[in-house]
Amino acid sequence: MSALAVCTYCDTVHRRKDLPGRSSARCVTCDAPLYHANTEPAAMLAVTLTALAALIVANAFPLISLTSAGSATHATLWRAIVASYDQQAPFVAAGLAITLIFAPVIELGLLLWVLVPLVLRTRPPGFRLAMRTMSALRPWRLVEVFLLGVIIAIVKLTGLATAVLGWGAFGLAVMAFAMASLGSFDQAVLWSRFDEVSR
Amino acid sequence: MTAGELGVVKCETCNLVMRAPGDDAECSRCGERVVVRKPLSRCVALVIAAVALYFPANVLPMMKTEQFPLHRSDTILSGIKFLWREGSWELAVLVFTASILVPLTKLLALGFLLITSWRRSAWRPRARTNLYRVIEAIGHWSMLDVFVVSLLTAVVQLGRFANVEPGAAVLPFASVVVLTMLASASFDPRTIWDGVREVQHE
Repeated sequence: MSALAVCTYCDTVHRRKDLPGRSSARCVTCDAPLYHANTEPAAMLAVTLTALAALIVANAFPLISLTSAGSATHATLWRAIVASYDQQAPFVAAGLAITLIFAPVIELGLLLWVLVPLVLRTRPPGFRLAMRTMSALRPWRLVEVFLLGVIIAIVKLTGLATAVLGWGAFGLAVMAFAMASLGSFDQAVLWSRFDEVSR
Repeated sequence: MTAGELGVVKCETCNLVMRAPGDDAECSRCGERVVVRKPLSRCVALVIAAVALYFPANVLPMMKTEQFPLHRSDTILSGIKFLWREGSWELAVLVFTASILVPLTKLLALGFLLITSWRRSAWRPRARTNLYRVIEAIGHWSMLDVFVVSLLTAVVQLGRFANVEPGAAVLPFASVVVLTMLASASFDPRTIWDGVREVQHE
């Protein structure tokens, strides 16, 4: 039955075909994307490492730097979270920490955990749980929304002080692109490689 | 040919196609629960909760700004007006789209999809599927204003030359966004097509 592809949106059954290059198949009934051409897990690993490096930059360097009356302040992601907590907004602080730090770290960490063994053609421990956790976290990727938020915050600050984008915002941008690219990979590649190495 | 007619079902987590199990079965490959159709009731409940919170989210202040001697308290809409006049109209349009247009469209669209699915309507299923795919894709952008407010709170406080505080609307607004995201995830687009197929079989 692995020769069949079922559409998530309308339940139509298709016979799978080999697709050329980076193309994707669409459902004949409702036109929704069905599956992508096979990619190498090694390509996913490269993008994952890029996203992780960008995540470190996004967290270590200031997102926004402010100068007002001769004094400069640099707002990093972590200081923004701590400041929201201090301003009697613990839910906001928790939301920021979860969507911008914990969820991406867990998702990228798990991806690395499964990809390295799969690329080396060995069986990753805890593969099923890791895959389920990742698929539960996927809808909560908000990095690209936060990036736009940083840009709008800077425009709103121009009346109050001189605000410029920091290196952290650059890291955030790379991370947003890398994670969007990870979303375009077909997870089926990981399952078929897993089935292959489990045999 | 549909999976239902063939007696198979696809696991939504790992895409494995398997023989349709009874209720509460687990996928043999990934271990996730497999359901033939998600019930409409959960989505209905989430939409109702989101509609209820939509009012406080828009009426209460989203952000309070103090810069001596000025003091302002902005709701989502007045914040957008302020951005339009003082900042740039492009960003005002962007924030308006993310904070007002997207949540409203999402709630109306989900309501429409739920009613048509519930009535097993055969009206333009392809258009309704596309509508669902759009609201699924744009939903999380509504979080924009919450991020802007918390960033401003943090940055301005660190700068110590003014004070920005998140208003009472932040929590209900963030809840609306989360609830609509959960609602669209709990809607089963295959129910759009069930009505169409019933008509074809008659």
